[in-house]
Amino acid sequence: MTIVLEQLRKSYGETHALRGIDLVIPQGGVTGLLGPNGAGKTTLVEILEGLRQRTSGRVSVLGLDPEQNGRALKQRIGVQLQSTAMPLDLSARELLEMYAAFYPRALPVADVLKKVGLEAKAKTLTRALSGGQQQRLALGIALIHDPELLILDEPTAGLDPAARRALHEVIREFHRSGRSVILTTHYIEEAEDLCDRVIVIRSGEIVADGTPFDLVGRSEGASTLWIAVSGPFDPRPLEAAGASHHGQEGTHHRFTTRDPAAVIVALGEVLRSQQVTLTDLRMKRPALEDVYLELVGSTDAASVLESST
Amino acid sequence: MSQLRAALALYRGHLLTYRRNRTSIYWILAFPLFFLLMFGYVFGRGDPEAARFVMPGLFTITIISGSVFGIAMRLVTEREIGILRRHRATPVSAVAIVLAHGATALTTLVVSMTLQLIVARILFKFQIAGSPLAFALVLLLGGAALIPIGLIVGSIARDTRTAPAIANFVFFPLMFLSGSAIPFMMLPGWMQNLARLIPTTYINEALQAVVVRGMGVAQVMGPLSVLALTSVAGVSLNGLLFRWESTEPVNPKRLMIALGGLAALYAGVYFFAPTLGMATFRPPD
Repeated sequence: MTIVLEQLRKSYGETHALRGIDLVIPQGGVTGLLGPNGAGKTTLVEILEGLRQRTSGRVSVLGLDPEQNGRALKQRIGVQLQSTAMPLDLSARELLEMYAAFYPRALPVADVLKKVGLEAKAKTLTRALSGGQQQRLALGIALIHDPELLILDEPTAGLDPAARRALHEVIREFHRSGRSVILTTHYIEEAEDLCDRVIVIRSGEIVADGTPFDLVGRSEGASTLWIAVSGPFDPRPLEAAGASHHGQEGTHHRFTTRDPAAVIVALGEVLRSQQVTLTDLRMKRPALEDVYLELVGSTDAASVLESST
Repeated sequence: MSQLRAALALYRGHLLTYRRNRTSIYWILAFPLFFLLMFGYVFGRGDPEAARFVMPGLFTITIISGSVFGIAMRLVTEREIGILRRHRATPVSAVAIVLAHGATALTTLVVSMTLQLIVARILFKFQIAGSPLAFALVLLLGGAALIPIGLIVGSIARDTRTAPAIANFVFFPLMFLSGSAIPFMMLPGWMQNLARLIPTTYINEALQAVVVRGMGVAQVMGPLSVLALTSVAGVSLNGLLFRWESTEPVNPKRLMIALGGLAALYAGVYFFAPTLGMATFRPPD
């Protein structure tokens, strides 16, 4: 097991940042922690990294307790913190050389520069790097000692899509060698693209946990169907199957339904009995984003109420 | 061993950063030269014999400012912008970080002092009357005694705005009571007694002995051992007060232990320290 958490709690005075998290993450895979600001994501990963002390509960990362065996653990995990801070007057290579010296074993600096795509910037001072390049350098620091586990706190925050994709590639490459990645993110597409497991946290509690595919399936949201047929047709059998008809958009009739499978079966029946042919069918399932908003949509209001009681 | 390697890597990083930063060059080069010219021409009136008498005071001030100002700011800055927090996520220890900062300060101190010695030689035909080895020992042990004070300032200062204020608050008593700015025998008796509590007095004392009175290592063993003791105490206090993050509060219990330790040290120095030669020594008119 890469990570085992039992009843993990963290309180700052009267504020409860984590309210009893139980979580097991096996080896391998990319796990995404998703949640609104203040949900407790950063508190959680910083407890895993040994940067924060828990109030109660059990924490095991790679079989070690971050509070008891901090130094041993830090040799084995690679970390990227939320706000990147590095000495600005050092070049990319000098910075990586410095961090390499902190570990008993490290990868050759040239290899790491190549891995994060900064070979051409080896001699450039950190202050002259773009935001995306700085984030990649920060990822390089996290990778310098060839860690067994990567913990990344919003690794792509504020990056443009191209820079984000470049970073995703580096993370995937790491994951391909069978090692685990845990990352927090604000970007739903990032979780959908990159993660094979998504954990949604709200007000210090896990409110959903599964593959992006599972989570979408659990949605209460409706799917939308656009149906175009060769002649006039009567939508009532489809309504009987659970669809609501919203009229026509050009040549397409628009329906919404929570049970698209039943509606499509009914559609087959309609085509046969009403003697029309289907010319086009389009469907939009609820996305992870819809599921996410269902789960945390009211969070801000809710968390204010909860913390005041 | 691995922590020593980490400290060396951090030290190298500091030096590279220094080389690329104009303000720090100013502090290492321009500031000490300005003081040299001021002391040499104003107090020493440009006369080589008179200049020699003011040099120990100048060197003492160079050691104090080099140990207290830059280092505190660097430590606070690294904490404030989160560089220390990033280090904390690696196996590097607080000791390695403190060691690297100390080594950086000592290096800049040696550079400043060498520059002053060379320029003083050219302008005022200045020469150390006593043993150069003793001079080097005073410089290194003086730095080692005062640099931990700079680090402590860096550890207790809340942010980059309060750090210079605290550093000044520490700097002025260290300077005025040391006999470096005001000749020691001009201080009233009670203030001379107070000065015996201040480590910089022993730096100035030893420098006077070596530079002006031509003494060697054996004659300044007393002040040197006070400096060594102060250094050990300062380093241990650093261990108590070091903070990785600005949000971490200064632990009041540890601060009390630190202050208690300091008080005990100074009391010990007060009773057992060697008598100060500069209190009785009068330069020939």
